[in-house]
Amino acid sequence: MIRRLRIISQAIFLLLFFFLFLQTESKGMDDLGYPVRLFLDFDPLILITTLLSAHAVSVAFYLSLIMIALTAVFGRVFCGWACPLGTLHNLVGAMKKAKDRLDLAKWHRLKYFILIFLIASSLFTLQITGIMDPISLLIRSLSVSVYPAFNSAVNSSFDAVQQLNIQSLADITESINSFVKKTLLSFEQPYFQQAAFIGLIFFSILGLNLYQRRFWCKYLCPLGALLGVISRYSLMKRSVSEGCTSCGVCAGKCQANAIVGEPAGDGKAWRPAECIACHNCDDVCKVKAVKFGFRKSAEPVALDLGRRRVITSALAGVVAVPLLRSAPISKKEYSEPALIRPPGSLTEREFLQRCVKCGECMKVCITNGLQPTLLEAGLEGLWSPMLVPRIGYCEHRCTLCGQVCPTGAIKQLTPEEKMEVKIGHAVIDKGRCLPYAYGQPCIVCEEVCPTPQKAIWYEEVTVRDRNGKKVTVKQPRVDLEQCIGCGICENKCPVKGQPAIYVLSAGESRSQENQILL
Amino acid sequence: MFRRDVLKSAAILGAGLALPAGLDILIDSCDAAPRPDLAVATGQSPAAITRAAIDALGGMSKFVSSGDVVVVKPNIGWDRLPEYAATTNPEVVATIVQMCFEAGAKRVKVFDNPVNDARRCYTQSGIAAAAKKAGADVSYVDSRKFSERIINGQVLKQWPLYDEVFADKIINVPIAKHHGLSKLTLAMKNWMGIMGGSRGKIHQRIDESLVDISRVMNPALTILDAVRILTRNGPQGGNLRDVKKLNTVIASTDQVAVDSYGATLFGMKGRDLGYVRLAAKSGLGVMDLSKMRIKKVKA
Repeated sequence: MIRRLRIISQAIFLLLFFFLFLQTESKGMDDLGYPVRLFLDFDPLILITTLLSAHAVSVAFYLSLIMIALTAVFGRVFCGWACPLGTLHNLVGAMKKAKDRLDLAKWHRLKYFILIFLIASSLFTLQITGIMDPISLLIRSLSVSVYPAFNSAVNSSFDAVQQLNIQSLADITESINSFVKKTLLSFEQPYFQQAAFIGLIFFSILGLNLYQRRFWCKYLCPLGALLGVISRYSLMKRSVSEGCTSCGVCAGKCQANAIVGEPAGDGKAWRPAECIACHNCDDVCKVKAVKFGFRKSAEPVALDLGRRRVITSALAGVVAVPLLRSAPISKKEYSEPALIRPPGSLTEREFLQRCVKCGECMKVCITNGLQPTLLEAGLEGLWSPMLVPRIGYCEHRCTLCGQVCPTGAIKQLTPEEKMEVKIGHAVIDKGRCLPYAYGQPCIVCEEVCPTPQKAIWYEEVTVRDRNGKKVTVKQPRVDLEQCIGCGICENKCPVKGQPAIYVLSAGESRSQENQILL
Repeated sequence: MFRRDVLKSAAILGAGLALPAGLDILIDSCDAAPRPDLAVATGQSPAAITRAAIDALGGMSKFVSSGDVVVVKPNIGWDRLPEYAATTNPEVVATIVQMCFEAGAKRVKVFDNPVNDARRCYTQSGIAAAAKKAGADVSYVDSRKFSERIINGQVLKQWPLYDEVFADKIINVPIAKHHGLSKLTLAMKNWMGIMGGSRGKIHQRIDESLVDISRVMNPALTILDAVRILTRNGPQGGNLRDVKKLNTVIASTDQVAVDSYGATLFGMKGRDLGYVRLAAKSGLGVMDLSKMRIKKVKA
């Protein structure tokens, strides 16, 4: 009974998650209209690590205190009942027929070591939780990889049918296509750097379920570990009555290796920190001996991590901080020219202390310009957002990335503030620019430049062609005072491949050092 | 395709002229003179002046027949609010849509291939909502629906154009704006919004390209929105000080004439615009305003 409720709850939360994910897209208004980052707001792992690393957190994150309270009462119900990634693990696990072997029984401690590592490093201002935080991981993987692949697959299927050129079929598929387009598909096909790589990691994590169901939740998930630490003290306890025949069936059905006592599998010993309250054990018990209630449990097994291992994990987390920051990008005067951060981004140091690489900004970016970094921001900043204008420019009046950022790494700006923010500056390559290099008219860059007083202006110059004939062309120039680095000039520059005008990060408002002008 | 359209509009025009004078109350009540080539309407209400300008040319039924599928092509190129005069006035668009239906149109389609994000352009310009309310099918441009078309122009030999634009009738509804390269963007330049491919390249031979593309487009009517015009920092603007309110709408079947008249709104002459000169020379339309019957109305 409770198990069935749990499954319904999982379905509802997964659908809610997908719904919010699909709403993380512009409809042309200034606001999205939905609390699309809700799942992140409820994530206490992000709350704690961000508080430690940045000493500040956006107000919405205090919603995750509700999650902590729920866990303190009911145990890891989030993992069992709500986590969308957990539910996906269940779905993939259903593809596996054989029973899970429990030969990794002690490996469940690994996730606590990961948690300790992350907390220790965040204490020293390093925020890399997002790499393994399940909600960040899921949103990032869907945004950057799975959803673009899904879009591409659906679109090419429709195109294939269209190409069959059967009119009756085409009419039907066209109407299905327009429906699917409105409801499920992205406005335009998104493309992301590292899409296959990030997707490979995600599918590998899902694939681990074929080795052991909920492998990720049992052994790796740092959020599960955090909730596990809290649920050790939760009020809801599992108890086994006298009637238990020690048949061990419940241990076999346990999703989280929570029922592994000595002797193995007798069904009585219970690890409260591991239990995700899936209620498989009481559901399957033939003699109804297993009960959950607010009574004291008979045989809770303590969480024994080992002092040395805890210290080692913490030390590793501390050591990771200077290690990741020994690349030149961490040098104060150094700035990576390609690292164009979204408008409203904090200074690079503060930005990295907050960004959890959840990929919300990349999902919502209206032009697909925000892309995950590889090494542009150092290993510390892996998968954080940067603008690649050749793929998509920063839309002048759009403020969506700041609206969806869960941690405030990108500040939420009003449209008026946003239009003032500089994220870089444009550079003209005179060797490629048509009016400079070839005496050809062009100035597309000037046409598309969005600042009220155009940052790109032009000078009328008379040049000679190879026959000595005079030609007057307009040669574009960049006004550094006006240029905001939005990159539309680079994006629309008709010079293919390497554009004749491109944007570099210098001049960005958020930095005092990375400036050109006096 | 184009020839058929020409024949069709010639037939309609012929039919209109052949009407017994007593039956055509509209024309008669105005004056007995032949219909004007170009109408200029001024007044406070964008809807009223749009209607007045079209009525001055004989009413929408002169251009749209019962059962027609009509494309109304505004300028929705930029993510700007209507006050900034970067996109066609939504009331002007809605009025035209309405008048098409009054003339018996079966469907009216409204679309543009914007430079900025299409969703923001359609929404922020107010055009999507206004046109939808008037009953039009407002759709985003579908990248699969561009086909390579033979243009055989001076510069453009062929170019991918949007399939949907080739309906029974097309009404071009540009807004009058400053433009860095071509000086002004008016009716002929508005055809860039049906071009696919790497259209930025046509800047290299802008005047010839605009004439080439305008030649294959055969609008039943061209209606220039000059309710507000953008006098500097065009075609995108962004500063209200660059916007001038003229409360004017200009209509004609001759797109070159519209552009030539449009130039005067900015204190220029038609001959100051390379593409107007070129278009007139090649016989696409009339540049010389003194040779046109211009009717000015107030509404």
